[in-house]
Amino acid sequence: MKPPLFGLLLAGGRSTRMGRDKASMVMGKDGLNQGQRAVQELSAFCQKIYLSLRDGQAPPEGCENLEVVRDNLGISGPMAGILAAFEREPDAAWLVMACDLPFVTPEVLAKLVQARADGANFIAYASATDGLPEPLCAIYEPGARAILQRHAERNHLCPRHIMIEERATLLELPPSSRRALENMNTPEDIAAATGEKQIHIGWFGALAEERGCREETVVTSAQTAGAFLEEFSNTHNLSGLRGHVRIAVNDEFAQPDHPLRTGDKVVFLRPFSGG
Amino acid sequence: MSFFIESHPIDFESLRESLASPDCGGFVFFEGRVRNHHEGRDVVGLHYEAYLELAQKEGRRLVDEVSRKFGVRAAAIHAVGDLKPGDLAVWVGAAAAHREEAFAACRELIDAIKLRVPIWKRETYTDGHGEWIEGCRCASPH
Repeated sequence: MKPPLFGLLLAGGRSTRMGRDKASMVMGKDGLNQGQRAVQELSAFCQKIYLSLRDGQAPPEGCENLEVVRDNLGISGPMAGILAAFEREPDAAWLVMACDLPFVTPEVLAKLVQARADGANFIAYASATDGLPEPLCAIYEPGARAILQRHAERNHLCPRHIMIEERATLLELPPSSRRALENMNTPEDIAAATGEKQIHIGWFGALAEERGCREETVVTSAQTAGAFLEEFSNTHNLSGLRGHVRIAVNDEFAQPDHPLRTGDKVVFLRPFSGG
Repeated sequence: MSFFIESHPIDFESLRESLASPDCGGFVFFEGRVRNHHEGRDVVGLHYEAYLELAQKEGRRLVDEVSRKFGVRAAAIHAVGDLKPGDLAVWVGAAAAHREEAFAACRELIDAIKLRVPIWKRETYTDGHGEWIEGCRCASPH
């Protein structure tokens, strides 16, 4: 009988290039953040899902109910998370998935799971770009634990190199999911991949009071500042957005046809009442 | 010359001193103070809020425009935060060789600030109820 398959969601990265926690970011229109989406995908194949966090890190929004595995002190990166998971459940196989892979589909995970029949310790996809193993959406069978530990002792902490050396079973991505393992490291990655933009909204005066916050970040496909105002106004019931509203983009007044780029800051302006 | 947004109470005196100049014989300034009534209701307090990044930029542009247009030395300072009736909300000054330009520049600058600088006020009334005030978009001063 094959060992049970557990899911390990890697959310311990520092997201320095993105500038904010990637697992908490909402991508796409379903409103799920990346952590929640990954949990949804994993839950179809795994008996139980653990959340891998670095020491002292709080779980991302929506993932508070998952059991947490903390990185072992001393090493960092994905290896720390995977080894900590094996320490917790030595007899399990782990379907390890990074939290910044928004294009992973059930089909992609199903193919990995089916390949367990071969009995390999490591099962991964070959990268669509360079053919090398993709270790952060892969299966690590219990037999992989001792191998990983041996590498870690020699300070080999790169799971990709380990998979190459250990001749991981490499699968080809399904033709319809060639981009499934592209990860999102910067706001520009998101824009390029989805055509959607992340917009930071600042709220002031009556609008801040009605909205109940001073700032928020939303995702939109609107091309211009004016289209964004119309879209936001149509999807949110804010009386303050009706009537005369001007728009500022990146701390400057903007016309409705001003093009929007990902990362822009937008403020909707009610008529002023200074003086 | 300069435009500032500061937490109440604003320090306009150093600004007034910096505007005064031996070649300016006319110095006009305007003080906007908190009124204790608005459209028939008793006002007990005002809260001013600014979109600081844009308000400072736009305010400086207005001061520059008016200074150039009238050939005056001009400056303004606006308060944000919680104010009571009688408190100073905005101070605008214009110094020129002669009084005509100074009066005209001061008048134009305060009107432009009210119309174009992203600052909003919320009035609180005697019953504790409060309301954000919408500025009028018409260009005529009132």
